Amino acid sequence: MTHTEVDIIQNRPISNAKLGVLVLLGAETMLFVGLIGAFLVFRMGNVNWPPLSLGDIQLPQLVTGINTFLLLFSGLSMFFSVRYIQQDKIQQHHLSLAITWFLGVAFLVIQGSEWIQLIRQGLTLQSGIYGGIFYVLIGCHALHVLGAVMWLSIVLAKSLLGRFSSQEYTGVETCMLYWSFVVALWLILYILVYLY
Amino acid sequence: MQENENLTPEHDDVHDTHDHHEGFFRKYIFSLDHKMIGKQFLIYGLLMLFLGGGLAMLFRWQLAYPEITEDVAAKLENVESRLAKPLPIIGASDEFLKEYLETGELKPKTMADRYWVNVIESDDVEWAEENIPFGIMTPAFYNMLFTMHATIMVFFVVVPILVGAFGNFLIPLMIGTRDMAFPVLNMLSFWLAVLAAGIMIAGFFVPGGHASAGWTGYTPLSADPEWTGVGWGMNLWAISLLIQGFSSLVGSINYITTIINMRAPGMTFFRLPLVIWALFIVAILLLLAFPVLSSALALLIFDRLAGTTFFTNTSTGGGDPLLWQHLFWFFGHPEVYILILPGMGIASELIPAFSRKPIFGYRSMVYAMIAIAFLGWVVWGHHMFQSGMRPGMGAFFMTTTMLIAVPSAIKTFNWLGTMHKGSIRFTTPMLHAIAFVSMFVVGGLSGIFMANTPVDIAIHDTYFIVAHIHYVVFGGSLFAIFGGIIFWFPKMYGRYMNDTLSKIHFWLTFISFNCTFFPMHILGMGMHRRRIENPLATAYTQDFEGMNIFITMSAFTLGAVQLILVFNFFWSIYKGKVAEKNPWHVNTLEWEAPTPVPHGNFAQIPTVHRGPYEYSVPGEEADWIPQAQPEPVPASAGD
Amino acid sequence: MLGWYTENISTYAKGVDGLFALIFWITIVAFILVMLTLILFLILYRHRSGHKAEYIEGSTKLEIIWTTATTVIVFGLALLSFPQWNKLKSPAENPDYTVQVRGEQFNWYFIYPGPDNEIGTEDDLEFENEMNVPVDKVIQLYLTSKDVIHSFFVPQLRLKQDVLPNRIIDFTKFRAQKIGKYEIPCAELCGFGHATMIGSLNVLSQEDYDSWVAENWQPQE
Ligand code: HEA
Ligand code: HEA
Ligand code: CUA
Ligand SMILES: [Cu+2]
Repeated sequence: MTHTEVDIIQNRPISNAKLGVLVLLGAETMLFVGLIGAFLVFRMGNVNWPPLSLGDIQLPQLVTGINTFLLLFSGLSMFFSVRYIQQDKIQQHHLSLAITWFLGVAFLVIQGSEWIQLIRQGLTLQSGIYGGIFYVLIGCHALHVLGAVMWLSIVLAKSLLGRFSSQEYTGVETCMLYWSFVVALWLILYILVYLY
Repeated sequence: MQENENLTPEHDDVHDTHDHHEGFFRKYIFSLDHKMIGKQFLIYGLLMLFLGGGLAMLFRWQLAYPEITEDVAAKLENVESRLAKPLPIIGASDEFLKEYLETGELKPKTMADRYWVNVIESDDVEWAEENIPFGIMTPAFYNMLFTMHATIMVFFVVVPILVGAFGNFLIPLMIGTRDMAFPVLNMLSFWLAVLAAGIMIAGFFVPGGHASAGWTGYTPLSADPEWTGVGWGMNLWAISLLIQGFSSLVGSINYITTIINMRAPGMTFFRLPLVIWALFIVAILLLLAFPVLSSALALLIFDRLAGTTFFTNTSTGGGDPLLWQHLFWFFGHPEVYILILPGMGIASELIPAFSRKPIFGYRSMVYAMIAIAFLGWVVWGHHMFQSGMRPGMGAFFMTTTMLIAVPSAIKTFNWLGTMHKGSIRFTTPMLHAIAFVSMFVVGGLSGIFMANTPVDIAIHDTYFIVAHIHYVVFGGSLFAIFGGIIFWFPKMYGRYMNDTLSKIHFWLTFISFNCTFFPMHILGMGMHRRRIENPLATAYTQDFEGMNIFITMSAFTLGAVQLILVFNFFWSIYKGKVAEKNPWHVNTLEWEAPTPVPHGNFAQIPTVHRGPYEYSVPGEEADWIPQAQPEPVPASAGD
Repeated sequence: MLGWYTENISTYAKGVDGLFALIFWITIVAFILVMLTLILFLILYRHRSGHKAEYIEGSTKLEIIWTTATTVIVFGLALLSFPQWNKLKSPAENPDYTVQVRGEQFNWYFIYPGPDNEIGTEDDLEFENEMNVPVDKVIQLYLTSKDVIHSFFVPQLRLKQDVLPNRIIDFTKFRAQKIGKYEIPCAELCGFGHATMIGSLNVLSQEDYDSWVAENWQPQE
């Protein structure tokens, strides 16, 4: 590698990896724009939501609300894990990563059990557009949380193996970007799907 | 997902520019080198062009010589003189057919007849018997043909060549870096595209046939197998496009990151060649547009396989049939600009290079492309004027659509301005660039008719639209592709393409292209519907029979002429005249690299000192100054 | 070339042809200007030995000129089109007759309200692929579909409107000026019978129409 090339890399305002993830998030946003658009078309096209034909289905607003807080909190701890690694506070860094991981898993577990409840109550994928868009939209988000948790598992393992330091923590940062996206998206989905 | 900084090439230790010994697989199949991936995309796209074009040949035959069924005969004046002609080669002979229909006896006269006897007599229903009995197409088969023609041409020919091939080959070379930001992702992008193509082709062989709801796949027709009789074909169509979406996503992440982060020193954004600008904008469009299609495709797959009702109407909470159209065109219109912007970029390289003049209005060219890309997001409704969307929205979509004429006009006039007072060389790439400009203008101007809501009522879903499509995608994108291939061939393969063959190919293509597609405007004004397998079905279009036959003849010429290109391409790879490093005397960085370009591209990363179009600078002896040539010592200019 | 344009027998859609012709001439002029300039430049500035290109980077003045010129033209066109569009795609104010149209793979069905002028009552009559209307009367259509999307298209009336399942489109109307038999092809791909999904529109004189009505709606005992 020549001298100029080292210069080019060092003068980058943002690393390739981080930029790549940001760009990826642009695409993810548009995927959800499509799905949320579909949801809004259905939601606004129907006066009664859930449609009367479904009987009295009630989405678990409260439990999911609590779940929302768990996820928001995980976003916070993820944010701090980056802060700590920047300051080389390795212990705290590990702890906050682990907390994030547990909160993410807890979110998925609670979400899953809520789904089982709903299916018992008779709301399935085939329950007209209401059930359909609910499971597709929320399910698509859940898949993203699952992806994020798996990514975080790798980051956590690497972190425990001591791969990151205040000099080199891009891996944590990129994961944090993705995690924040998943959290922020959830907030929108919760408001739209559960409260609106 | 996690792209480690270690994978990027600059972190590999030293990149040797000389021989880099790799195994066959590493070098030709699972190559990480952007140039090889670009060439892979090119060859893949050209092969798919043959498939897509071949399908067009089949259905053009049908349009010229449709079957004369009883309903049609009742409307025709002189039935006897007009006979359906089954597909050549595999079609059964007239006498044989007549005998069979009248007496039920199978008396073969030709080789093809014998084949049909076998087919009829075999116990299970064969593919041919179902789709092209005796060489005469069934309507369902016709629908499948044009659906797959368009799907393949749009998703597997033009995008892979313009974005995949030119994007990969040119971006690192023209911005002066050693490779893409994420070479592994780059390879993944190509192989995902191959996988998508494989799945798409597999669809031809499943029971029920391939997707046949048009490339636009309007629901509810596409959402329920009941309406078309197509089963897994449609599912595979959707799955294949989902994978194609991943491929584009990965590709565009790579392009955007590379262009933002890895430009050579001195290569500011406003010193980028316009083709790189175009590819950059297109990468952003692809990145943001394709996921919308993916979301629609996912919903469609749920409808087809999991019993949801997003797009169909059932008694329990019906979905919305127009939702698909909104999602599809919200993706679809940016998609058509994905098809043309790189072509505009290529033209913007070729025209200055062969007029030996700077591009006229560099910045306005850039802003015009940005404007086109931006406006492209708010015009999708122009495909839906007659769809039953609220008529009030028509006014908005008409205005935004027609506004796109403004940046397009800026581009057109700037190309003309570039030629003004130039010193024009009529090389074959330049001929293609000139054809690009003039054909794009024809296609663009016909767009104005359709953008106008009242006029669109008359011409929507007629051949006027088909004429528009082909003037912009063939006259536009494909001419740019041909020009680009001939222009960059010396850098790709170290040899020239044979010029005589290229010239013959150009003129024959240009003429037969216009003969094929120009009359379609007239068909459109006669309100000849598109997507019909039998133009004789309506009495008011029967006068167009002669014109349809003429179009088909021209289309066959057009198809046959492409064989020259293919021959020339593969022949020249091995036998072409060896080219020097910078045969066209062009300024951009790719010509700075040795030919053939080694792994790692440049011995030393070049430093850029000026814009890409410094041709015929006053006071200079040569009429070109490469971007990387240092300023003479007492430099006065400062930019 | 305009001669190829199908004849127009609609009162509402006269303006469509005017706009078509206007755009036709605008684009022809634009096309000829661009092509003439192009060819002129190609001849004048072809490469000749000893002749060098001039170094010109652009001209803000010219950019402004052609940007404004095109903007003015397209806005002008848009302004001319709005009223036409609104006139064409809005419900008739006081229709003389109403007919309900239903597309169904692969036929058109026409439901006439009968003497009580109300659809959904017992005296409705349904006709397959045959639509009879009197000449010079405003016919209001209610369009719908049973299965997939079709498109109600009468070339000579410059009328085209997609029909959607579970939705009734109420902003389509026409008034035919010429007695005759016209085709109603389906203009939206709707499956393998799409090409042959063709209805027939019979524009009758008022007397013929009345006798057709008398024939079909006989006074009930
Ligand atoms: C490369 C692809 C490409 C490009 C670049 C375009 C460009 C344009 N398209 Fe086209 N379009 C398609 C591909 C493309 N289109 C396809 C594939 C379809 C059919 C899809 C389907 O249904 O299957 C379609 C369909 C389509 C429709 C829908 C028609 C219908 O179904 O009823 C409309 C309607 O507005 C439209 C409009 C336009 C316009 C206004 C432009 C503009 O961008 C053009 C702008 C350019 C110019 C205007 C020329 C240059 C300008 C001048 C020389 C200045 C002078 C001009 C004036 C004063 C006006 N297109
Ligand atoms: C990039 C896009 C692209 C390209 C390049 C083409 C190329 C061609 N197209 Fe296509 N076309 C579309 C995009 C494209 N098309 C789209 C989007 C539609 C709308 C579909 C829909 O309604 O859903 C469409 C629809 C369409 C129709 C309307 C069908 C209908 O509505 O019923 C027709 C009709 O003539 C047609 C013809 C052709 C022809 C003759 C070519 C020729 O240019 C092809 C030339 C052939 C080749 C380049 C192949 C090379 C040569 C060979 C294979 C060997 C030759 C063999 C012999 C001569 C025997 N196309
Ligand atoms: Cu009904 Cu096409
Ligand atoms: Cu469009």
